[in-house]
Amino acid sequence: MRELAELAAARGALEPRRVIRALGETFARWRAPRSPERERLAREHGVYSPEVVERGVQLALAGWTESALESLRAREVPSPCWVPPVTAVWLAGSIPTAAFSALALPLLAGSAVYAKPASADPLSARFFAASLAETDPAIGAALAVGSDAKALDEADAVVAHGSDATIAALRARVGAGRPFLGYGHKGSLAALGPAVEPAVAARRLALDVALWDGRGCLSPAWVLAVDAPRGRAAELARSLASALEEVEDELPRGALAPGEASELVELRARAAVREGTRLEMAAGASTWTVALEAGDVRPPPGAFRFVSVVPVPDLESLGSFCAGLTPTLSCVGHAGFGAERARLAELAAAAGASRLCPLGRMQLPPLDWNHDGQPPLRPLVRTLDQETAEG
Amino acid sequence: MTREELEREILAWISEGVDAPPDDARFERLALALFHLQYERGAAYRRLCDAFGRSASDVRDWRDVPAAPTGAFKEARLAIFPPADTVRTFRTSGSTTAARGALALDDLALYDASLLATFRAFVVPDVARIRFLVLAPPAEAAPDSSLSYMFSRAAAELGTPDSAFLVGAGGWEPDAAIAELAAARAPVALCGTAFAFVHLCDRLAERRLRLALPAGTRVMETGGFKGRSRELSREELHGAIEARLGVPRARIVNQYGMCELGSQFYEPTLRTGRYGDVKFVPPWVRTRVVDPLTQKDVGPDETGALLHVDLANVGSVQAVLTSDSGQLAPGGFRVFGRLTGAEARGCSLAADALLGAP
Repeated sequence: MRELAELAAARGALEPRRVIRALGETFARWRAPRSPERERLAREHGVYSPEVVERGVQLALAGWTESALESLRAREVPSPCWVPPVTAVWLAGSIPTAAFSALALPLLAGSAVYAKPASADPLSARFFAASLAETDPAIGAALAVGSDAKALDEADAVVAHGSDATIAALRARVGAGRPFLGYGHKGSLAALGPAVEPAVAARRLALDVALWDGRGCLSPAWVLAVDAPRGRAAELARSLASALEEVEDELPRGALAPGEASELVELRARAAVREGTRLEMAAGASTWTVALEAGDVRPPPGAFRFVSVVPVPDLESLGSFCAGLTPTLSCVGHAGFGAERARLAELAAAAGASRLCPLGRMQLPPLDWNHDGQPPLRPLVRTLDQETAEG
Repeated sequence: MTREELEREILAWISEGVDAPPDDARFERLALALFHLQYERGAAYRRLCDAFGRSASDVRDWRDVPAAPTGAFKEARLAIFPPADTVRTFRTSGSTTAARGALALDDLALYDASLLATFRAFVVPDVARIRFLVLAPPAEAAPDSSLSYMFSRAAAELGTPDSAFLVGAGGWEPDAAIAELAAARAPVALCGTAFAFVHLCDRLAERRLRLALPAGTRVMETGGFKGRSRELSREELHGAIEARLGVPRARIVNQYGMCELGSQFYEPTLRTGRYGDVKFVPPWVRTRVVDPLTQKDVGPDETGALLHVDLANVGSVQAVLTSDSGQLAPGGFRVFGRLTGAEARGCSLAADALLGAP
């Protein structure tokens, strides 16, 4: 592939300090007030409302600074090590910031990138690549966006996002001889402890639900509420319904594709017919839904601003629910556990979660997050332990 | 109107056959009466109506009848009779981990009447009986499969004594089926799932065989692929059947049905002699194309979700909202597959990807 040869040649410009500066400046452009890049993506993205893109990108990139990039590289890319000259990045889904980090991380390691955008989001990767090229044309030349599947066979490493079936097929295609990082489908949940302040927690949770309209693996698909004192879960569900109604003005939900609308209707109907489940829905077009479960159920994962609130009697029961999600649990957002937070962390880790964060930050993973438990850069590179002592 | 009175009237309509007049007034009267019965007696259906703000007094037209999405059949028992009265339960296909939809029946009279009226009209319209060869297991080997039940009932009522099921509980041997077909000297009704036909045609291709089934043979295929074979378009599948089995397209009938419904929809190929993809709607059923969120009809040339109102579904819910994309057409409707849009979903889990019953 000609593009890969050009990328390999452009890779010569990927001097670490220069890459860090270029990426840091590019992220800064995207998070700046009235960023033209962000405004354009918000206008043209199509899947989300412009407000969600604006807010989601700005908030997520807040911590993606030069110093964060520098620390990450220092931690993950030892010297000496082998870095794949060119990495093929196969994107999926529609979340812009997920595309940004997927493109930036191999560059940070020192690998040029050939990226195939997701079919549902053809713009985020292209716009990011254009802004990087504007910031530093030489670094920008090491990032190409295309759709040639031959890159999967010819690149030196492959990073892929998609369904578990897609990941399995790509892993088989790439084989064992080249680094392969696959990110499949996951689900996250919000855990609310007995010390939670319902109105505050609901506002934070509403932001986690509203950003990216519940489409991402970090979107809370369930809300588990320790029902102590009894009735607390119901109070939380009511507060969450109010908060989602309020946030709808500020962060409207985007339009749903027919298949998504059908999935949402099914989620609502399944909750409606479940005995004991109470459904709160917005009037009219109904962009959000809160289902308060009767307890002892594992409802289907929510999406598109549909959330099930599941009361649990105590933290250990919450842990059992999490354990049932292994190995697909990704992030646990939390509030109200006080001194029990350490136990929550143990239970979440045991269930395979790779991230525990405060409520309101579920959609804002730091750049150095161990996505799906994998270090962000290290699996791409080959390290070498050199022993020099003799005798 | 009592349930017995309703069933008697619906049964009478079905017994008039698929050529009975559609009679909108008759449908309206029966559908509204059935809605009130199902709302009163079906606890889960009532919860669904109430949650969506549709009480019995809001329903004045058959189009107002709230539909249960097929997913609701995975979650609760949508029936208007006690569990102890169940005589048959059909379940949707699926893995053991994912929740499966279920249709419970306490009486098979209406189900059988609708099944046989349409099967006879669209698959065996020209002869009293014909030899059935079925590429699916019989009902006794797959008791929760509505497809197997349909084939068994149809073969019993419309088949000759030498009819045979070529698939058992443990699977099938395509070469044995090929031998059976190659030996056929009289017309047969070759019925089966789409994926079984793919396997059969693939095996014939591997063996470089082309059969010429006797004139008068008809093929009925249904059920989609469900990940159990490579997927072919309708045109490709019918082309392969024509090429490998020697059955012309004008004698291939596609059936569209679902476990949650008592009635099925057929292409009228054998009745018209013309190959086409429009599914016929029996007089006791109405099919709408709707926006799935609002359940409002889409424009006449637009695609949307298929919603069926089936009077044969007396014991469960008559109005069922599917996840299938379709469009109304003169004489019926077209089906285009599942509603699209999963691509944007990203990395979050889809419902049923993970969880079964607790």
